[in-house]
Amino acid sequence: MCDHVAAHTLVGMQSTHANQDHQAAAIETAALTKRFGDRAAVDGVSLVVPRGTAFGFLGHNGAGKTTFIRMLLGLTRASSGTANVLGLPVPAMRAQALARVGAIVEEPSFYPHLTGRENLRVAAAVRGPEARERIGGALRRVGLDKRAGDRVGTYSLGMRQRLGVARCLLSDPELLMLDEPMNGLDPGGMLDMRRMIRELVEEEGRTVLISSHLLGEVEKTCDVAAIIDRGHVIAQGSIDELVDDKAGELVIECDDAERALNLLAGDPAVRRLRSEHGAPRMSLTAREYAGELNSRLVGAGVVVTRLEPARRSLEERFLEMTTRLEVAA
Amino acid sequence: MTRNLTITKQMIAADLLRLRKKRGFIALVLTVVIAPLVIATGYNVIQHASDPAAHGPAGGLQYYGRLLSLLGVFMGPVAAILIGAEAGAGDLAAGVFRDNVLTGRSRTALFLARIPAALVVCLSVTALGFAAGLAATFGFAGGLPTPSASLILESVGWLTLANSVVCVIAIGLASLTGSRPGTITALIGWQLVLSPLLVQSDNLGSLRNGLLDGVMLFLKPGPASGAPTITMSVAVALAVLCAWLLALPTLGAWRTRTRDA
Repeated sequence: MCDHVAAHTLVGMQSTHANQDHQAAAIETAALTKRFGDRAAVDGVSLVVPRGTAFGFLGHNGAGKTTFIRMLLGLTRASSGTANVLGLPVPAMRAQALARVGAIVEEPSFYPHLTGRENLRVAAAVRGPEARERIGGALRRVGLDKRAGDRVGTYSLGMRQRLGVARCLLSDPELLMLDEPMNGLDPGGMLDMRRMIRELVEEEGRTVLISSHLLGEVEKTCDVAAIIDRGHVIAQGSIDELVDDKAGELVIECDDAERALNLLAGDPAVRRLRSEHGAPRMSLTAREYAGELNSRLVGAGVVVTRLEPARRSLEERFLEMTTRLEVAA
Repeated sequence: MTRNLTITKQMIAADLLRLRKKRGFIALVLTVVIAPLVIATGYNVIQHASDPAAHGPAGGLQYYGRLLSLLGVFMGPVAAILIGAEAGAGDLAAGVFRDNVLTGRSRTALFLARIPAALVVCLSVTALGFAAGLAATFGFAGGLPTPSASLILESVGWLTLANSVVCVIAIGLASLTGSRPGTITALIGWQLVLSPLLVQSDNLGSLRNGLLDGVMLFLKPGPASGAPTITMSVAVALAVLCAWLLALPTLGAWRTRTRDA
């Protein structure tokens, strides 16, 4: 129960922060819900995706990520709640909103008998006359210009993913929504995709929403993320905020770990003390005591070279949060 | 307005590109139309060459009547069904329909763009078959009478109408069901088996006027080819044609608009 409260507090905190930046939101949803019969695939999701960021939307398979994206794109109707894409309400102004959005849902599909360039010609036809002029640039942008004359049936999954991004770029989108773009890619393909996404954000100022269950990749690629579990957003914020556990441990790097452990043991400010890989780790009743304890160690002749929050990977935080919720449920 | 027209033209060209570039499919469609023609003509030519007294020349007006039946009632419509099914459900089968929907473009426009592209392919195939058949009609006529210029013109109009209607119906059904195999099976079964049986069933009386085959046989120009003769007014024939042309495409357009992408 307490964990639920903690998770919702974090969500609430981030929402308040994001609301101050309302004008800049690329996506904003309020209590967005999609029900299939009695089951809520997405349950009251309120989310703000700031413009000009790579935003990770994390969750296990079946957590509701794709359903959420499908609602934003008007592919399926929401049961309740509201959604704005680039400031326009969807589905009411879906066509206007989607004219500035590029998206890959599930996996990019193409006509296998056509070449990469021909597939983009087909895609450009639906998007308008300007899109046709962007074909060459889009192919170069994703590094497929040399293979553009080959049939898509001969492409690897990584190449099809990149061609999917090229197709998104035909409409010169302000916002890209990529559903599991790293799925099935080899390490080289993942690196290419990561670089490309960073360039789209940093060099071209686009917003990229990536839904994924590959947490390591999201951590490396995204600036901001939200975690969805069984239809609920359980946390959202910058990657640094998400991996920084405020109630978590401090790691001490010093010349005499055993002495440091003895000095800290029994201190009322230390809630928990342990050693990991030869380095003392402590949880405090309040972070403010960290400086005081550092002075004590130094005063006692222990040379402290590092005292900092123990940083955990996004994957560890994600598993911790979702496991806590499972236990609470 | 100009922009919308440009986009419409681009969409039609794109649909045409995806159809004509499917080389195996185009080869199949051509085979469906040309192979029976070549086999039937070749058989007649060999028969005539081996025993001219018993078997007349392979070409001429009689041959021309059978050619029209082949291209306008049997294999031409089969080709039209294959093309219509591909045009109507090809983007769904490839998963590209979702991407088209994601652009925000009107789904009705997406449906309508399928029709001209499919008709271009369908009528090109029909034209090839007709040209080959016409060459045989004159080339192997011997001393037999040949079709007049006006009959040829009428025939071109009739073949265009017959195969276009079937092609558009196939696009509608494929868009409605989202299934190429289902559409092909149902329509070929109807066109080659059920509909000819019903047309020949005198018990049905004027109900046969509602059959597309009945209308096409009524409108068919040239000499009789052994098919049953159905009498109706031109107005009834046109009304039935319009009904067929509107019903399935309307359902197909509706399903394209409402389909979960």
